[in-house]
Amino acid sequence: MLKLQRLSLRMMALKPQRLHNIAETTSQSVAKRVRTMTTESSMKDSFAKYTDYLNDLNEKRERVVKASRDITINSKKVIFQVHRISKHNKEEVLQKAEKDLATVTDQYISRLVRELQGTDFWKLRRAYSPGVQEYVEAATFCKFCRTGTLLNLDEMNATLLPLSDPSLEPLQINVLDYLLGLADLTGELMRLAIGRISDGELDFAKKICEFVREIYRELTLVVPFMDDSHDMKTKMDTMLQSVMKIENACFGVHVRGSEYMPLLGSDDPTSFLLGVPDVEI
Amino acid sequence: MNMKSAFRNVYCTLFRSLNPNLPSNFLPRRLTFLIPPSAPSIRAQTFRSLSPTHSSESMPGGEAHAAPLLEKQFEDFRAQLEESGTLRERIRTVVMEIESTTRLIHSSLLLVHQSRSTPEVLEKPLAQIGVLKELYNRLAKIVLESPGQYYRYHGDWKTETQTVVSLLAFMHWLETGALLLHTEAKEKLGLNDSEFGLDVEDYLVGICFMSKELPRYVVNQVTAGDYDCPRKVLKFLTDLHAGFRMLNLRNDFLRKTFDGMKYDLRRVEEVYYDVKIRGLTANGDPVADQAAQS
Repeated sequence: MLKLQRLSLRMMALKPQRLHNIAETTSQSVAKRVRTMTTESSMKDSFAKYTDYLNDLNEKRERVVKASRDITINSKKVIFQVHRISKHNKEEVLQKAEKDLATVTDQYISRLVRELQGTDFWKLRRAYSPGVQEYVEAATFCKFCRTGTLLNLDEMNATLLPLSDPSLEPLQINVLDYLLGLADLTGELMRLAIGRISDGELDFAKKICEFVREIYRELTLVVPFMDDSHDMKTKMDTMLQSVMKIENACFGVHVRGSEYMPLLGSDDPTSFLLGVPDVEI
Repeated sequence: MNMKSAFRNVYCTLFRSLNPNLPSNFLPRRLTFLIPPSAPSIRAQTFRSLSPTHSSESMPGGEAHAAPLLEKQFEDFRAQLEESGTLRERIRTVVMEIESTTRLIHSSLLLVHQSRSTPEVLEKPLAQIGVLKELYNRLAKIVLESPGQYYRYHGDWKTETQTVVSLLAFMHWLETGALLLHTEAKEKLGLNDSEFGLDVEDYLVGICFMSKELPRYVVNQVTAGDYDCPRKVLKFLTDLHAGFRMLNLRNDFLRKTFDGMKYDLRRVEEVYYDVKIRGLTANGDPVADQAAQS
């Protein structure tokens, strides 16, 4: 009998307004005597309240997840745009990337502001964190290619202030998401460095290498204090891999670069060995 | 350093153009790296040797200013995170006390299965509620030091609070036969006026936990001779189950916990059936009742 009721309930689940009636018949038919009418109805009322609460929460979470996904997709596009950089088109590529990034901020990040007021900012962190991390990655990536420096969290949060009208709490990215995004940035920088090396921009690659090392070094000191450091620890491993890939690539060019000297004219077999200690990239 | 290498580059190029016949390994080695694998000629080499200078210009003073700034930011982060770590430590200390109090309550409550009278059993754990209230008050004070971050640290007291709710609800049910509502639970913990609330999902999970205790309670009550107990428990649990089915749950922990409730319900139904079919219930066959009493 219970099974039957459950089935009928499931069928009605699509029409939540009818749930009340069903619950009533259920409780009355099973327990024939209605002894404590007051407690029973107060229980039903409370469960109606919990239902509303959970429905609202889940809908909000869904909206935040969607916004987060949109942020991720569009931030990825910005990152790909930056990767199209080369010696000759730097300015136009970065201009487009920055324009796209501004669109992400205005169109998608702004959607989060209203949803994450008050305690929801931390409650729904899991729902929006991936998107925000990707956004941090895109923003810091653009900034690095533009100036060679790290975009600070404060600077970044300052750009988010105009998104909300003064009646709302402004959305401010938290340290944890910023650091997680930064950890991902090194992967992109690795790709960029490899691309730059094959394009002959060795100084740029070297610059990237130093920058990534610096970030890795700084992060090693911060990671132990992070809340859910497990996620970050795997990222640190990946980051070290990225740093080493850049270093190996620089090393490869370094070594091969000196091999080119003999090809260009010298027959002296010692030139390769002699070349190494003095070379500085 | 960029300046230095730029100078070197210019110097090399100049040097080379002045002495075109020198063997190339006579050149300062610094030049070597500037020739990419694809460089087909000296002309390209000249171009390359200039390009790094160009790109370093586009990042003015990067290293000189960026490094200390970068370091400063990370130092700030470290300080911030350390601070929240200390806060978390303090939270954990209180939560551990909450946990040991709940263990006390739980062990005292276990006596209901040993056919003691309910008021006698409840005496000790009821006295502990005051302790819990005090502890939650302390917890709230700590957490509210950083406003709006309730859910940042929520994981630290979540499970403990669910247990607290389950125990409070069980006690409340033993006392009154009714379900402890969310507002009542909050009131018992002194969280009504506080910004530090009781998460509804934690409350609901706690209620699901409570239902786990009921099948055992029914079995032991019947063994102890209370044949009306299964009927009461079944009614309560059926209502509760119906209430939970009104919720649209996600595929999360709450749903999993609630899924377990049907087994509790079934077990209680079985006990009720066993008792009823043998005519042991109060409105059953009087002959059977007498037989049971003798």
